[in-house]
Amino acid sequence: MMRLFFKVVLLPAMMLVSSPLQATLKIDIQKGGLNPLPIALPEFVILDANGTPIAGGDMGQRLAGVVTDDLKASGLFRPLNPSAFMQDSTSLWKTGPRFREWRLVGAEAVVSGAVRAYGGQISVDFFLHDVFQGALIGPGKRFTAPLKDWRHVGHRVADEIYIRLTNEKGYFTSRIAFVAQQGRRKWLALMDQDGANRLDLTQSENVLVLTPKFSPGGDQLFYLSYEKGPPRIFRWDLYTGRRFMEGDHQGLNATPAWSPDGGRMALTLTKDGNAEVYVKDLNNNTLTRMTQNNAIDTSPSWSPDGQQLVFNSDRAGTPQLYIMSSQGGQARRITYEGQYNAAPAWSPRGDLIAFVQGGRGKFRIAVTDPDGRRVRTLTDSWMDESPAWSPNGRVILFSRQRGDRTQLYTIDLTGHNERLVPIGDGLGGSDPSWSPLIR
Amino acid sequence: MKRTGLLIVSLVSLGLLAGCGSTPKGGPDGATGTESTTTGVFTGDGSGGVGAGGALGGPALGGPPRVGSGSLDQVPMSHRISNMDAAGGAAGGEPEHIVHFDFNSSLINDEASRLLIQNARWILAHNPREVIVEGHCDERGTRDYNLALGQKRADEVKKFLVSQGLDWYRVKVITYGKERPLVFGHDEFAWAKNRRAELRIAQ
Repeated sequence: MMRLFFKVVLLPAMMLVSSPLQATLKIDIQKGGLNPLPIALPEFVILDANGTPIAGGDMGQRLAGVVTDDLKASGLFRPLNPSAFMQDSTSLWKTGPRFREWRLVGAEAVVSGAVRAYGGQISVDFFLHDVFQGALIGPGKRFTAPLKDWRHVGHRVADEIYIRLTNEKGYFTSRIAFVAQQGRRKWLALMDQDGANRLDLTQSENVLVLTPKFSPGGDQLFYLSYEKGPPRIFRWDLYTGRRFMEGDHQGLNATPAWSPDGGRMALTLTKDGNAEVYVKDLNNNTLTRMTQNNAIDTSPSWSPDGQQLVFNSDRAGTPQLYIMSSQGGQARRITYEGQYNAAPAWSPRGDLIAFVQGGRGKFRIAVTDPDGRRVRTLTDSWMDESPAWSPNGRVILFSRQRGDRTQLYTIDLTGHNERLVPIGDGLGGSDPSWSPLIR
Repeated sequence: MKRTGLLIVSLVSLGLLAGCGSTPKGGPDGATGTESTTTGVFTGDGSGGVGAGGALGGPALGGPPRVGSGSLDQVPMSHRISNMDAAGGAAGGEPEHIVHFDFNSSLINDEASRLLIQNARWILAHNPREVIVEGHCDERGTRDYNLALGQKRADEVKKFLVSQGLDWYRVKVITYGKERPLVFGHDEFAWAKNRRAELRIAQ
């Protein structure tokens, strides 16, 4: 299991006025950040071994910076400019918030945090306050981790703030696997969801690699490689760096998709004549053919309960989305509008399917419910593709090609808050896969 | 990798892949491990750090495919000649190796049929060691669909060649989807050039 060595401690509400009343501050997540919540995130104080605030480096500022960037990028929060704050971090930590002052700077929530570093470890405490209620929102919490994982700790704090104010899980402690691109060169890479800590996996200049897909545990990838000549599916164990080829069938082997329980892979093979969807049992390697027709059936994606598959097929003349039982049987067409509906990705919440909607010379990201009754187009560019969901099913990651350049973007499922994911080094990116939460 | 040593006689290859084909990386048989270097990502002790330097891994895999992996930055000379000219002017010579398709189609049109008949005759007469059909798409549409469409185009070309007398087992097929455009551009001219199947004939 990919588990960060992480301790979480609930802190007593020491030195704080605690209210027996449940705090009522909540973000209406359905509005997708039309009214982002103003939140104050002062730099965390540095504590010595006795818990006394000391001056010592910029870790307090950097941690608050990670939390600030995460919450801001979600579109649901509006972190306030710290230069306007009236109460300093040390006083905030020692005596609790002077709520009147935080109201004056326009904050509805304020975070007080402290960090201790010792022996290669980092320990971070934080409290979240409701400014208008003058009360804590949830208990204080402590995270400890190796110092090198300090950014992860910041993301963990952001996840906590997110869940407390939205009632939904956050997604900040997650990673993105993607195909990095520089000029004509492409390689497999990993990075944190905010673009930090990029790690390049494949080194080759010449071997084409495509479509990495995280396992449900986030510890393995399926991907496509041309290293044997024709495209073949490989499995990469991220713990050990070991790789395995997942089958070697005549013709095309592509579009690996891990079932939610990790036990099966949906894929596309042409070994029986043309592109059909199959399900492979990863325990005994048996293949079950799911589709039977003379058209291209590809891009399978699992429903979160593993009971159904959504895929695209051009059996009716153009690529359209279909849903079928993962046990086999008849497929039911769900899209009828437009000439090109493809690359579906079933949300981890189960309520929506993101896909690529082609039409009028453009390829855009859209979502539909599994009945196909309510289709909404989210993006408007020339070539958007490869939608992938955040672990909480709120945000869609996709690639956007503009001219010669392809980059990664995120957008809220409401269609608001479209953002470029910074990769750094001037690199392009495509084929994103979003990991589950890494804890 | 056995293809490394093949003589690729396509005009395109001669013009633009010559440097690539002679790249010494991996040696003549390509059996080097450098192309399959892997990086351990997560330290296995559970501390969860993201750091480089885990086990090198994987079975010893062959080198990269040399076929069709060059970068083509301009329209190659052969494509400035129309297919008809190339075909008509090739009295006994080698025919053009590229056939084109309509958008989202794998149908072999009349022009493609004529060219493939010439190719089939040439191949039967010269008995090359290997014939590879590459299927390609333009840049529009999804990665997955284009991989399948490129496969379908190449498979259709293979079927056509076999119908002209070629041995089924001699013709190999590979799809590149939209990954290997012949022409870099984002307009109908480039797209039409890139929707294609290419014959790679190795003697």
